[in-house]
Amino acid sequence: MSVDTEPAATPALSVERLKAYYRTSHFGVSREVRAVDDVSFAIGKDEIYGLAGESSSGKTTLIKAIAGLVRPPLRIEDGSIRFAFLPGRRGLHLASPSEVQRVRWRHLSYIMQGSMSVLNPLRRVRDMFVDFAFDHMGLGRGAFARVVEAHLARVRLEPSVLKAYPHELSGGMRQRVTIALATICKPDFIIADEPTTALDVIVQKDVLDMLREIQREISSSMLFVTHDMGVHAHLTDRLGIMYAGRLVEDGRTVDIFARPRHPYTRHLVASLPRIGEDRIRQGLEGNPPNLADPPSGCRFHPRCALAMDICRREVPPMTQQNGHRVACFATGATGEQPQ
Amino acid sequence: MLAVLRDLVRHNPEFRIGLVLVLLVLTLAALSFASPYPELDVYVVPPDVPPSSAYWFGTTSRGQDVFWQVCTAIRHTLAFGLTVALVSRLISLGVGLLAGYKGGFVDRLLMSINDTFIVIPLFPVLVLFYFVLRDNMSWLALALIMSLLGWSYDARLIRSVAMSVKTREFTQTSVFSGMTTREILLREHLPYVLPIVFSTTLANMNWSIGLEVTLSVLGFTDINTPSIGGMIYWANQHTALVAGIWWWIAFPVIVVVMAFIGLFLLSVSLNEFIDPRSRLARMGQATS
Amino acid sequence: MSTALLELTHVSKAYGRSGLFARRRVPAVRDVSFRIDAEPASIFTIIGESGSGKSTLARMILNITQPTSGTVRFRRRDLSTLRGHGARLDFMREVQPIFQNPFEAFNPLKRLDHYLFSTALRLAAAAGREDVERRADEALRSVGLSLAEVKGRFPHELSGGQLQRAAIARALLSKPSLIVADEPVSMVDASLRMSIVNVFRHLRDDLSISIIYITHDLATAYTISDRLIIMQRGEVVEGGEARAVLDHPRHPYSQRLKAAVLAPQTDADPSQPPCTTEPVR
Repeated sequence: MSVDTEPAATPALSVERLKAYYRTSHFGVSREVRAVDDVSFAIGKDEIYGLAGESSSGKTTLIKAIAGLVRPPLRIEDGSIRFAFLPGRRGLHLASPSEVQRVRWRHLSYIMQGSMSVLNPLRRVRDMFVDFAFDHMGLGRGAFARVVEAHLARVRLEPSVLKAYPHELSGGMRQRVTIALATICKPDFIIADEPTTALDVIVQKDVLDMLREIQREISSSMLFVTHDMGVHAHLTDRLGIMYAGRLVEDGRTVDIFARPRHPYTRHLVASLPRIGEDRIRQGLEGNPPNLADPPSGCRFHPRCALAMDICRREVPPMTQQNGHRVACFATGATGEQPQ
Repeated sequence: MLAVLRDLVRHNPEFRIGLVLVLLVLTLAALSFASPYPELDVYVVPPDVPPSSAYWFGTTSRGQDVFWQVCTAIRHTLAFGLTVALVSRLISLGVGLLAGYKGGFVDRLLMSINDTFIVIPLFPVLVLFYFVLRDNMSWLALALIMSLLGWSYDARLIRSVAMSVKTREFTQTSVFSGMTTREILLREHLPYVLPIVFSTTLANMNWSIGLEVTLSVLGFTDINTPSIGGMIYWANQHTALVAGIWWWIAFPVIVVVMAFIGLFLLSVSLNEFIDPRSRLARMGQATS
Repeated sequence: MSTALLELTHVSKAYGRSGLFARRRVPAVRDVSFRIDAEPASIFTIIGESGSGKSTLARMILNITQPTSGTVRFRRRDLSTLRGHGARLDFMREVQPIFQNPFEAFNPLKRLDHYLFSTALRLAAAAGREDVERRADEALRSVGLSLAEVKGRFPHELSGGQLQRAAIARALLSKPSLIVADEPVSMVDASLRMSIVNVFRHLRDDLSISIIYITHDLATAYTISDRLIIMQRGEVVEGGEARAVLDHPRHPYSQRLKAAVLAPQTDADPSQPPCTTEPVR
């Protein structure tokens, strides 16, 4: 099911009907966890697309699948993941190692949650730039060094940072280094997985603003995954909401916050406490779903105030209105109250 | 409990093989009670008879039936190993858990004692004890001495696990639930420490049996209690290999090696099974 | 003049670096003083980021660690004078903790009832199995759970929100007067957070339990706090009545904290330039 973006533009990333499951077997107990179950969405060029979801939403698995990190017990059962820069392949996990090597960092880069999972604690910052980017850029050593320093200035880091080891820098500085590494080759696509979650509030805002600045400058597309709705509100252009392995709503961020349509989204938006507002907000009833044994039909129905009979039996299809999609029997077709 | 055993037998080949070997050895040990000859008597059967239908493992130069001797010997040897392992486990658990949890002065004191014991050279000390005790060296005495020498290394291992568990938040929850130190150590921390205890128990048994066999072969133990090492000692005294009485040495060695391997395989497979990480994976927690 | 429930007077805590060069001392908390009255019950919030000393302060209030100078008094009794198992149990009956990580608050290998029953027996003087179960059920119901849901369960079978509520229920069994909650909702799903925060409100309003709520999140602090202090690098930079401080912060650090709160922009242009003038930390 393809999404209505600008008519003639090829999306930077197009995910269609993706299914990714885990199959595990320990001492005779086998489980199938349907972490991503029939997800479709597209990200346009020069766009920041946010993916929101809480624990057991499946977003971590979705990121792994898109990044090509698919190893047993994770398996892609069905569907395709098409990047604009790798037209022939239905997914990075199907590409040959040389293609992956060519693509990684030059066309596709990552900003992960723990900066220490990307930064080698035994290498100085300057050496890591060489490791990651030198081969892709095709410049001489002197020219490369100048480009790196200019790029660091863009993330507001002094050149003296180059001499340091990761542990000598603060958390915020490390994340800026990670961002610099991920963007120096001006990749077409950046995947960011909870990059600011471990950071203090003040540093977080700084890092987010910086990320947006750079993204606008190099015109790359970004897939930004976090459970923090405040971050999505501040940063993203479009937003997708995941629940129990499925995409339940998707559209422009301002639309989603102003007029959320899916009951789960309404809850997420409404439960954001704000300074200056006094009313008592309610939390969501019930518990996060168990992906090894999810509810039948619409997976949100056990916790939904608007649940009807059909919600228990059938999976609601995505319906679309002005670029704002939602999968809900109650609010889908018209966006109004249930019948 | 039975379900656990059944799972292990079905899914873990190491456990299966280990179990078979150990059961075989235990059967032999149990059979020793049915031995028609008193264990210490000599010249009760024709000597130097090769394995045959009448004497399955042959007979020794001292006129003993190798089969029944091996059964008795392996029983004593296993009992010895088990005693040493159990007593030294108790000591190392007590020291390790207490030192890890209490920290501070208690920890420093216990670890100083611990480190002193680690450095003691075992073999010379054991030989020294033999020369001091001579005829009073019963296998029980030997077992006790070895337990007192064998706890220190594992106590440190247990202590480090105890220290890491102490920093986890549920320890504070236990404190604020009113539990006493003893309860916290036994009920909260012990399950994390158990894999180490278990694997070191079986390893410890192998170690103590090995050491005992060595001492016996050299004649440094109570040669009146038949043991595997004792058999090999007597075989050497009668230059069995040179005389061609290979069965006197071969069968005890085969049986003790079976015991070693069986215990080892059991410890490895059981250890994997009770390790908290694999327990949690089985309970369905980890797909991350 | 209301009696003080908790009083901190010039409390400081410095960690010494052990080893040959033992002279370097790292101050975690510097000269903190505040007071919480016994009545009416209130929610006192401590706001700070990492390195602010807020968790160290919590540990001192819970008597898990002792201050290097200054005193912590609970109901006029200096905590450093508590000796013996009995005195410590008495203290724990009155003051209980809630921790940040709901999945680590309970031993993953043990069932939850274990902690509930132990607390009921040791701290709440419950008599016999039936009484223990009755009290556990009562405490669980007051936080929106029930004994049937929790009985016989292991921690991984429940969600973060349920576990945190079970932790609160356990803390309630001895009918404490003070609960110290260290970042209780930061690891709980956003959609479940408000229900936990509402539980704290219920504890204050209906059960008269005072709460020390430690967080870095100003928005949840705004919803339920009565008074608050803001800490930076071990020192209190601002304090006072909660709404007043958060609506109009005066200290530059407090202002930066408030400016960093991310809220949905309904009509604002998302590509406004970033507005920081401070040097990179």
